[in-house]
Amino acid sequence: MRFSDRVILVTGASRGIGAAIATAFAAEGGLVIVNFRENAAAAEAVVAACRARGGAALAIAADVTSPEAVAEMARRIGEEAGRLDAVVNNAFAPYRFDPDNRVRFAETPWSAYQTQFDGAVRAAYTVVQATLPLLRGGASIVNLASDLVSRPSIPYHDYTTAKAALVGFSRNLAAELGPLGVRVNCVAPGLVEGTQGSRFTGEAVRETLVAQTPLRRLATPEDVAGPVLFLAGDDSRFVTGQVLHVDGGLVMG
Amino acid sequence: MAEFAGHCPGLARDEIGWRIVRHAAWGETVEVALPELSEAQAAALCGQIRERARTALRRMAVARIVEAIDGATARLLDRSHPVRRKAEALLPVVTGYDRETVRLGLTGFLKTFRRPQLLRFLAEDFSDPGLLDGFRPAPKGGLVRAQGPDLLLHVWAGNVPALSLWSLVCGLLVKAGTVGKLASAEPLTAGWFAGLIAEQDPELGECLAAVWWKGGEGASEKVFLREADTVLAYGDDATLAALREKLPIGTRFLSHGHRIGFGVIAREALDRRRAPALARLAAQDVARYEQQGCYSPQMLFVERGGLVAPAEFARYLAHDLAALAARHPRRPLSPGEAAGVAAWRQAQELRDTADLLGEPADPWGVVVLDGDDTLRPSGLNRTVAVVAVDDLDAVPARVAPHRAFLQTAGVAASPERLLRLADGLAAVGVSRITAIGAMTRPEAGWHHDGRFSLLDLVTLTEIEAGAEAAAEGFAPYAD
Repeated sequence: MRFSDRVILVTGASRGIGAAIATAFAAEGGLVIVNFRENAAAAEAVVAACRARGGAALAIAADVTSPEAVAEMARRIGEEAGRLDAVVNNAFAPYRFDPDNRVRFAETPWSAYQTQFDGAVRAAYTVVQATLPLLRGGASIVNLASDLVSRPSIPYHDYTTAKAALVGFSRNLAAELGPLGVRVNCVAPGLVEGTQGSRFTGEAVRETLVAQTPLRRLATPEDVAGPVLFLAGDDSRFVTGQVLHVDGGLVMG
Repeated sequence: MAEFAGHCPGLARDEIGWRIVRHAAWGETVEVALPELSEAQAAALCGQIRERARTALRRMAVARIVEAIDGATARLLDRSHPVRRKAEALLPVVTGYDRETVRLGLTGFLKTFRRPQLLRFLAEDFSDPGLLDGFRPAPKGGLVRAQGPDLLLHVWAGNVPALSLWSLVCGLLVKAGTVGKLASAEPLTAGWFAGLIAEQDPELGECLAAVWWKGGEGASEKVFLREADTVLAYGDDATLAALREKLPIGTRFLSHGHRIGFGVIAREALDRRRAPALARLAAQDVARYEQQGCYSPQMLFVERGGLVAPAEFARYLAHDLAALAARHPRRPLSPGEAAGVAAWRQAQELRDTADLLGEPADPWGVVVLDGDDTLRPSGLNRTVAVVAVDDLDAVPARVAPHRAFLQTAGVAASPERLLRLADGLAAVGVSRITAIGAMTRPEAGWHHDGRFSLLDLVTLTEIEAGAEAAAEGFAPYAD
């Protein structure tokens, strides 16, 4: 059990990739903080799934862009667990991955960028600020980016630019926290099947992506969980500031 | 095949009783044969060394002795020399220190015994080192010369590899006939060095010996203790007290007992760039020789008010200790040492104002103390306390209770504050103030425990101005 006696916060964990990550940590014996914003019932279902897998879990509601809500969440984690061994910044602003109806640059208002920056960088900023005192040497931060940063298969300007900023954010944090023994890395999935955001991506685009992907399929939430656990745990103890692409080889390097 | 330790001029290998001791570490074992002399052999050896010192050694110019030591050191510094290769292979197994620590430590240490450094040793203690070769004019009038003892007995400690060379070299520089008692924990380097000296200068090699007996009971012990004019001993209080008790009243006894070192870090050194670098240097001071040296830090006083707070500095330090353990693994702990570390951890956990970093299984431990803590020994073996202080001025009072055990303080502060702090530290008995990162590497010619390494060993013979003037009256050319 790689995460026995470890405490892990997963933001946006009530569904999709976040839920898969949370249950994977639980299956390795971790105590998982299942953060969610609105859907308490879904979060409780994830908590139940975590317990069923043999781990411990606790659902805490908090909008990750609200410093007050996140501070309150950190306070509760401190009270319940006393520390954090890993933080997975998975939550992001709602986005519609719709290749056919995507907004072109000329029509994209700055506010759309701002919304995505808030959802990616500001959320990670707020969560790390609040949880830093709980992170000891050996702790790990994993931020969810996207393979679109390296290969904009579909130019989702606002979303991808914000994820690119998150990669820069992560590398700077890695440089500063390394001497304290805290690691920061990114996992960059490709298009993930079965999530809220990806349901507008039509078959034609899926087939095109699959055809260009060496492993010949799209990612599942479970595919993403493995690399997140790797970067959160001791197996990657000498890895920091990296972006690990999880897209079947669509992006290499 | 055992490695034969020591150096016994005039005695063939099969004439000596050898005590075989097994050492094991890092998956290897080494057998060391320690030379245990009979009473008669001990007495004969003392007589022979004393005689060689009086006749041959005293007539040698200091420059010749310096040449021989320099030559022996050069061979031990040469990584392709058979003795150096043997040292790198055997010392990690015998002492338990990792190979890299031993290799780097040997080189760093031996560098202080090259010719220029040896001359510095002499210059530190003698305004005119010619005093050791003959009578020289004294500033107050008349003439003066300095002589080392005919028979100087070293009782060495083995907490740090090659430590015995310090006193061995000091004794030779003052032309003392030399007998050393090998340390059980590191019985090899002194003998190798003596052998190399003998190779450089056979006549000088006959003026020194390195032997072993079981402290407190060896048959030869009473002979050596009776015969020595001066005894220079390293060890813990009990060892030193027992030794002193057995010495004839006229024997000069010089001792270096246990010490406790500490570091002081000023707020001006705690900016974002300097603090992590300093933490790294402090971690090296803590990790080198597992805090077994008298100069190793066991507590770090870190001033509040810098950009990096004491608690954050402690986290840098903790990570650097963890990182160092990958390159320099901690020495395997004896049950006693492991208990010492565990007891230290336990004591920290019981305190409200303490924040303990690192898990019990980690080969290091850092505790952050926020109270008005005074200097206290750590659990050794890479355990250290970081004590937050409002002002450096508080430090001398915090360490004063251990006055008798103070020696080295590592300091990171601006020049003005360094001098101000040094005044306070000197007043409470600190004898060596050095940079963080250099705590375990005293410079050539340092004054161990604040004393004169060479001057302490010699006696002066003065020809008073009156005698010189009176002699003029008896000259054949006297008017």
